[in-house]
Amino acid sequence: MSIQVGLFVLYFVIIFAIGWYCLRLTRDETDYWIAGGKLGWLLGGATMGATHASAGTFVGTIGVIYTSGWSFAWIVLSIPAAYWFMAAVLAPRFTRAKKLTLPAFMEERYYSTGVRRLAAVIILVATVVYVQAQVIAGGIIGNIVFGVPREWAMVGFTVVLIAYTAIGGMLAVVYTDFIQLIVMIVGVLAATPLAIRQVGGIEPLFATVTAVKPETFTWESFPPALLFTMGIAFTLGTIATPEKLVRLYAMKDMRAIRRGVLLAMIVATGLNLLIFVIALASIVLFPALPSGDLAMPMVARAVLPPVLGSVLLAAIAAAIMSTVDSLMLVAGSALAHDVYGTLRPEATPRRRLWIGRMGILVVGTVPVVLILSGVGEGELVQFIVLLFTALMASSFFVPVVVGVYWMRATKEGAVAAMVSGLTVCFAWEAWGDPGIDPVLPGLIASATLFWIVSLITPAPPLSATAPFSSDGAASAASANHP
Amino acid sequence: MTAILEVGFVFWGLFAVFAATIAAYVVWMFWVERD
Repeated sequence: MSIQVGLFVLYFVIIFAIGWYCLRLTRDETDYWIAGGKLGWLLGGATMGATHASAGTFVGTIGVIYTSGWSFAWIVLSIPAAYWFMAAVLAPRFTRAKKLTLPAFMEERYYSTGVRRLAAVIILVATVVYVQAQVIAGGIIGNIVFGVPREWAMVGFTVVLIAYTAIGGMLAVVYTDFIQLIVMIVGVLAATPLAIRQVGGIEPLFATVTAVKPETFTWESFPPALLFTMGIAFTLGTIATPEKLVRLYAMKDMRAIRRGVLLAMIVATGLNLLIFVIALASIVLFPALPSGDLAMPMVARAVLPPVLGSVLLAAIAAAIMSTVDSLMLVAGSALAHDVYGTLRPEATPRRRLWIGRMGILVVGTVPVVLILSGVGEGELVQFIVLLFTALMASSFFVPVVVGVYWMRATKEGAVAAMVSGLTVCFAWEAWGDPGIDPVLPGLIASATLFWIVSLITPAPPLSATAPFSSDGAASAASANHP
Repeated sequence: MTAILEVGFVFWGLFAVFAATIAAYVVWMFWVERD
């Protein structure tokens, strides 16, 4: 067995052991879905940062910069902007009534079980799209490390992920995310200077990249409107994706959230910036790759010594796993807690947990089946990630963020916002102008209908808005976890 | 040479804005928690 295979097997065994250990720490649904809601800033921020850094970062972004140039890199500034907004504007009100899931928040704020189920279904569909991108990237890595066909690698990767996530729940995800974040940081910190050295230093890197691909350091490779709207998609998507929002519930208080968010924004943005530099080096070292998504694995194999190359490949695997486990957990909770739990309110918590585990199994399996059937194959990973981000932002940003500040917002308005945002986003992706990211028309439709429908429907009851209104701070003390 | 300077600006400018944003966030965080 090669060093590379040995390291990966050891890595997977450790991750699985953590999942098993966390099963013993999990006593109830609150532990399983939000780690008891008691995370401090270190674990909370680490799991947020690790969840943010995905195949989109380690395979997708480098692929886009390799293919289209540096202008895409400026989108990274959406990360600190989005996290700051989350900590300063959204979190103080959003966390006043602690829930286990985003759809449960929607039910509380919009006094409707139907709104909750709709939100859960949207999360389930969008998660399948997102997990697909990560599984494609997992197939690339598995193929390189173990030499097996990509299809087998995708299946194997998914089995490991489902196993530890379904067994250990959020606690397993949090602890494994912490380890995976360390692997990512070590991998990227080791790879960046070696990649720069390989091309002769930072100045020769600029000169050679400019010679090989003169358009790299210009603003011409992306239409400005597309670049701007993609930035909006990433900003709003970072704020309004359920796997991020549920981490606000998992952290113990606002102090932990503010510090955790700082850690997440440093780690997520810092990793991106260093990976951009590796992307530039890969343009020089491998100028004719068939797909930009292969750039990072090529750096790991051909530039770094075997052990460090294995660490970088493990870092890519870590990025994928730490994101997919969180997505699976969110989707599992949507199915068990928000769909099944509302259809069968008499079900015991134990039964709901088992349904949740089944949900994780389903959500993990469907993307692989879709890819093996040819759906989504051949797309650059980053563009699938962007579509997910746009779908989430179009559906949830307005009802969640505006909903905690505008007390006139009604359940009918929330339904109109989610449905119109999702529909317009999908329609624009299929038939709209490719020079504008679908998040912009999706968001405009969502906000417009949210406003109009809320104003023409009966005002919400005080009981629904009290926990979130400006004078509702007192009700924060009575936060619960239904 | 001009090209290299432009490249340097586009490249290092991003790092500079990132560092400034983090610094501003830390100041904001301590300001919010000042009591």
